[in-house]
Order: sequence, then C-alpha cells, then structure tokens
Amino acid sequence: MGKYVLKSLLQIIPVLFIVSLIVFILVRVTGDPVALMLPETATAEDRAVLTQALGLDQPLYTQYVKFLGSAIQGDFGQSFRYNQPALELVLERLPASFELAVAAMFFAVLMAVPLGVISAVKRNTFTDLIISGISVIGKAMPNFWMGIMLILLFSVMLGVLPVSGRGGLSHLILPAFTLGVGLAAQMTRLIRSSMLEILNQDYIRTARSKGLGRMVVIVKHAFRNGLIPVVTIMSLQFTSLIGGTLITETVFSWPGLGQLLVVAVNTHDMAIVQAAVFVIAVIVVVTNILTDVAYRLLDPRIKYD
Amino acid sequence: MKKRQWTGLWITLLAVVMVLSACGGKSTSTNDSSATEGTGSGSASTTLTIAAATDIESFDPHNNNNTSSEAVLVNVFDYLIKNDSEQKKVAGLATSWDQVDDTTWRFKLREGVTFHNGDPFTSADVKYTLERVAKDETLKQNSYFKNIVEVKAVDDYTVDIITDGPDPLLLNRLSKMGAGILPAKYIADNGFDAFLKQPVGTGPYKFSKWTKDDRVELVKNENYFDGEPKWNEVVFRVIPEASTRVSELLAGGVDVASSIPSTDIARIEGEADKKIVKAPIQRVLQLIFRQTEGSITADPKVREAIDLAIDKQGIVDSIAGGAGIVTRTSVTPGNFGADPSLYKTSLYDQEKAKQLLQEAGYAEGEAEMTISVSAQYKEQAEVVAAMLEQAGFKINLDVLEASAFSERYSSKSFKEIFMIGIGNSLFDASNNYNRYMLEEAKGESDYNNPEVEKLLQSALVNMDPASREKEYQHVQQIFSEERPAVYLYQMEGVYGTNAKVNFAPRSDEMFYADEITPVAQ
Repeated sequence: MGKYVLKSLLQIIPVLFIVSLIVFILVRVTGDPVALMLPETATAEDRAVLTQALGLDQPLYTQYVKFLGSAIQGDFGQSFRYNQPALELVLERLPASFELAVAAMFFAVLMAVPLGVISAVKRNTFTDLIISGISVIGKAMPNFWMGIMLILLFSVMLGVLPVSGRGGLSHLILPAFTLGVGLAAQMTRLIRSSMLEILNQDYIRTARSKGLGRMVVIVKHAFRNGLIPVVTIMSLQFTSLIGGTLITETVFSWPGLGQLLVVAVNTHDMAIVQAAVFVIAVIVVVTNILTDVAYRLLDPRIKYD
Repeated sequence: MKKRQWTGLWITLLAVVMVLSACGGKSTSTNDSSATEGTGSGSASTTLTIAAATDIESFDPHNNNNTSSEAVLVNVFDYLIKNDSEQKKVAGLATSWDQVDDTTWRFKLREGVTFHNGDPFTSADVKYTLERVAKDETLKQNSYFKNIVEVKAVDDYTVDIITDGPDPLLLNRLSKMGAGILPAKYIADNGFDAFLKQPVGTGPYKFSKWTKDDRVELVKNENYFDGEPKWNEVVFRVIPEASTRVSELLAGGVDVASSIPSTDIARIEGEADKKIVKAPIQRVLQLIFRQTEGSITADPKVREAIDLAIDKQGIVDSIAGGAGIVTRTSVTPGNFGADPSLYKTSLYDQEKAKQLLQEAGYAEGEAEMTISVSAQYKEQAEVVAAMLEQAGFKINLDVLEASAFSERYSSKSFKEIFMIGIGNSLFDASNNYNRYMLEEAKGESDYNNPEVEKLLQSALVNMDPASREKEYQHVQQIFSEERPAVYLYQMEGVYGTNAKVNFAPRSDEMFYADEITPVAQ
C-alpha cells in the first residue's frame, strides 16, 4: 500500500512535466501578448521595448527552461493583466470553484438518489420511463442555455433568486443546480442499474422471504449497497467539476477558476493559463490517487502492484 | 471486512456534509451583508451599482490599458486636469496652467487636498507620479507619457512639466488614465504592493474591497475637495456574459448596465421602469487599405468603388440596432481637429461603384481581395462583404480570433483590407492619423503622400492650436478624396438603466459616479 502511494506520487512528476511543456508551447504559438497589452496606436518601438522587458525576445527553449526553473519553486510568473503572481491568483479562485463543485455534487446526489432508486424499484413502468426521459434531457441540455433559462425564470420573472455573482447561499442555488443536472442524470442511470442488479441478488430474496417489508428491504438492504458505485463516480466527477465549470461560471459571473481561465485565454494572459492548467492537472492526478487508495480501503481484494 | 467498507463510506459522506455545512455557515454571514448592500428600494439612493463586461486590471492607473478600468479608477484617483462631459479641459488637482516655453508647462496645484489616508497632496506627489509613468517602460501607459523628461517641483504647490520637445498634446495626456495622481509618501513608506492591496487616491470615492472578476466596492470620501459625494457606496459588478448583464438589470440587481447587445434593446425598452440610453463613443469602425504597389487597393478608383458600394446606414440599422452614426472621418466631434462637414454623412451609390470598378479595368468577380477582421466585428464584416460582392467584387473574408488579429495587426501582415474599430483616448486627431505618416505606414498601408506627411509632421509639434486644427482639417479633406480608409460608422455605447437613476453616458465611456444621480422620488 505504502509502496503504491509512493509509486503514484513519483508518477506525478513526468505527468506534470508533460502538461507544462504542452501548455507552454500552446500558449506561445497562439498569439502575441504584447499586441494585446499595448494601445492600438503604439509604435513598433514600443512593442520591441515591451517584448524585451517581458523576456519574449529570447528563444523558446530559453524561455521554457526559465519557466520550468521558477515553476518548480512555485513561481509561474506575473499575470500581465493583473501584474500579480499567477499562482497566487489561481489559488485565490480555488475556494469559489470548490464551493460550486461541492454544491453541484450535493444537488446531483439529492436528485439522483431518489430518482434512481424509484426507477429501479418501478422498473419498466410508466414512472421509470418518465425518469429515464428526464435524465436523457438533463444530460443533453447545454449548461449555457439552461443557466440562462433558469435566470430568466427564477430571477427575472419570479424574482426569488439573485441573477449572478458570489454571495450568500442564495447565489449558489442556480449555478450549482445548472452544473449538477448533467451529473445527476448520469448518476440516476448508474443508481438504477446498480439497484436493479442488487434487487436480483439472493440476499434480497432471502430478506423478503424472511417476511421483511418491501420498503425495509429496499432502504436497509439494497440501497446501502447500491450507493457504493455512486461514491466512486462522485470522486471521479469532482475533478471534472473543478476544471469544467468554465461555462457555468461565465454565465453566472461566478468568480472561480473557470472564469479566470476564460478571461486569461481571451486576454492572452499566459502566466495565468499556465498556472491554472497546472493546478487543475495536480488536482486531477492527486484525486485519482486518492480514489485508488479509497478503493483499496473499501475492498481489500483489489491489489496494486 | 464489511464493517471497514461501511466506515469508509461514512467518512466520505461525513466529509461532504462537513464541507457543505462549512460553506453554508459562511454564506449565511455574507448573506446578511449583501442584503444591506443590495440596491433594494429602501437603500437605492445610497448605493449605486454599475455592471460592466470586464474587470479592472489593477488599481495601478499607470499599468492599465482598458477603458473599463479607467471608468472605475477615475472615482478613486484624480487627474491634474479633467475632461468635462464635452471633453473640455477643466481644473482637477491643478487650478491653472500656463505654457512657459515650447517644452515647459507650469501648473498651480490645488491646496488643502488630502489623500484618503490623510496625507496632504503636494507637488512631490505629482513629480513621483508622472516621472514613474514616464520612465518605467514596462508600464502599459508608458508610451503615452515617455516624452516627459522631468517634473520639477518649484514649490509645494507649483510644478513645471518639461517635455523632450514641443508637445501640443500634453494637456490631453494629463487628463487621461496614466496621469492619475498617486500618493508618493504612502508608497515610499509601504511599498507598491501594499498600495495595490489598499490603494489610496484623492478622488471622491475610497477603495473598500475588490473581489477579482466579481466586484469593486468603493465608499464615499467625506473629505473630498469638491464637495460631498452623492452616493454612500458605489459598486462595480463584473458580468462578462451579456444576457446575464441584461437579466441583472431586469431583475433590479444593478442600476446601470453597459454594453447592451442590440438584440436586447427592445426587451429593455419594453419594461416600464427600465430605460436605454445611448451616446457616441470614441470608436470608429473602418476599413484600412493596403496601397503597396501591385495591390489592387492601390488604385484610387477601386477604393472609391468600395466606399460607394457600402450602405453604411444600412449596417447601423441592421447590425448595430441603430446604435451608430455614419461618418466620413474618424476625427469625430469632441476631438481636437474634427471637421464637422464630414460627420453624420456618408456616400452610397451601388451603380456608380459598379461603373468605377469597370473603369478600373475589372470585370465582374475579377477584383478579388481579402478582408481581415477580428471576430467581434464578424457580422458587420459579413454584411460589408455581401455588399461588395453585389457591386462586382470577389471577397475573401478572413475572420480571426481576437488575439490572432492583434498579432497580425502588430506584425502588419494583413492583405488588401483590414477592418477595425479604432478608439482615441487622447481626443486628438494625431491619434487617428499617426499611422499614415511615412514611417508608421511602412508595411501596413504603405500610404505615401508628401503633402499629408508635411501637415502631420508639423501638427505633431505645432503649439498654436488654431493653425494646428487647420492642419488636421486639411488632412481630413485630402483623406475624404484619397480614401486611405473607408469609415463605416462611429459606434455608440448602449446602456440600460433603471428609472431610479439619471445617467447620461459620456463619449469617453467613464463612469463618474457623481454624474449619475438618483431620481427624486
């Protein structure tokens, strides 16, 4: 076990190295930050001065070695736009994205668990059909469109929830719901199939034949076991929620990592793009290791070598 | 084994619950404060909330280069000279100014002004501020100020600003972003990073809080030299998504929302307590031609045909939702050197355009050219291309993502035509025309007219406003004949406001909070 964790930790290094190289190159071949920083009326001389001041006149490999050297020490360079250390800006935003991701997860569980269980228990009935239909729609609906529709309904027409920004719990409801719906749809399907499988197991039949009530069997015996795959998918989806909140954060002006990244790409703020992608990569890799460790704890039959 | 499995599951669930309750607890506390800060009807007269599409870059007025930053910062930092809403120079932190000689201006400073931290404002602050932006080449505003050689503090309330040559634009420079006066002593004592975290100026509003990409909160400066500010609090919200910004306005979350898309104008006007207000801004959409020898657009007949083939008013009405003013010059009223005879007018004659194209020796579909445009003006470019094709041109439309466009722009690698909206933060014709001077035009438009060159070179250092204005007006008349560029229209800023505030937008797109007033109820 300890050996496994150590091995996985060592594997992070080459992964992050490759991520850094790809991002570094992509960011540099897609445009000229100097042009975006200066006014339209700037002269060629102004541009040359700024290019040199930013070290952009040096060969790519020199820039990369320099970048990597400082990145190891946690220095991803200064954001052009904010003129502040990029990593600091990225880390500042993590709590907002984390809050949104956790809330979205909460919504997803809240919706998916009852729907999944009901549709498994009432399999192949009209209810099952309706729930399946809803989850297909939920999965297919673009976040962008749904966010705008929710704003129109709950904020503009009914006036019960704030439109945008980060503030109290009320600000969290619409974006978290928007982000959680797709995940909920996926989880509903998963819970349904996992429950169906369990409901056909011998121990369920045994419990029923002992004379236990239908509800008791479903809640106490089947449901608990049916939750295990849900926990698995929750941990896997959490990383994609952290990194994938770009559209939702933009629609709701949620000041998280996603919005920071969108603005940084638009303004060609290279340092921020690099730092943000790097941080997301670290979160993904670490979460994956933690998930593996959790598996191992939950089910000692799984071996890692 | 089963027991361990359950333990793991419960720990996971517990962790989720803990995190949720943690953010729940924090949220309730912020919820209370947002209830009092909101623009609910009870507190409407004390808090002004404005929504913009982009956040400020920082509280360093010297290292910002977007209008929306300046629109916020003008409430915190004062300039020596201000532009009033008609772009006339009025006293700010300087009460009077005189030209001593060709390269020296003397400014009398206002006495008794204090910074937000209580420090008095003196000539030392002016010296520190202007020399910083003039000398540090990494600052984004440096290119506007680098011709200032020295700022001499004559006494505590008098300064001499010395330029490296005659500079007719000095007053314009001193009334724009980059000239915001910083507290020299405060920065010397605490360092610049501390200043950025807790910025201090002399303006009507004091810094309170900045949550990046969310909001900037300012509070009233009770000791403002120009009388007590009108609002207790001014909040600038950042809402990049246009439909969300419109929804915030409709839901009453903001008092003023900027950059309303033309498609939402009717929707806002349809609401009883909401208004649309418009004002021309400093940006003219135009086509700039390459006149390099061998280029098809080097032929004046072709350029004239292009001008005549485009129905500018039609584009304003269809794409811009009416928010635009047709013009034959980019130096619009309010700018020094404007020629009003070329404003609010345009040429359009498809038949003559076809005839000119034939005279130039091109049969239908033979005059092939590429128009490059940044994605933000894609729709306008598509209509222009369609109109030109109707007149017999063959157009390749090259729509570029914004940063790709910028790169091609600065490397001067466009083909026959590029379409661009050019602003003018200096309110002076030189800003529009320097690109047509020999050195600058090289490789871009390759425009070359010795007479224009002479006029522009002279205007650059001409300290006599009357003759300088004539020079620029003369250039405009030449340009209207020669067409190094075809002007489509001057853009208008479109804002939505609620009926609780009076807001007359400015052509410089600034939000001076005290020019926005609550409507008496």
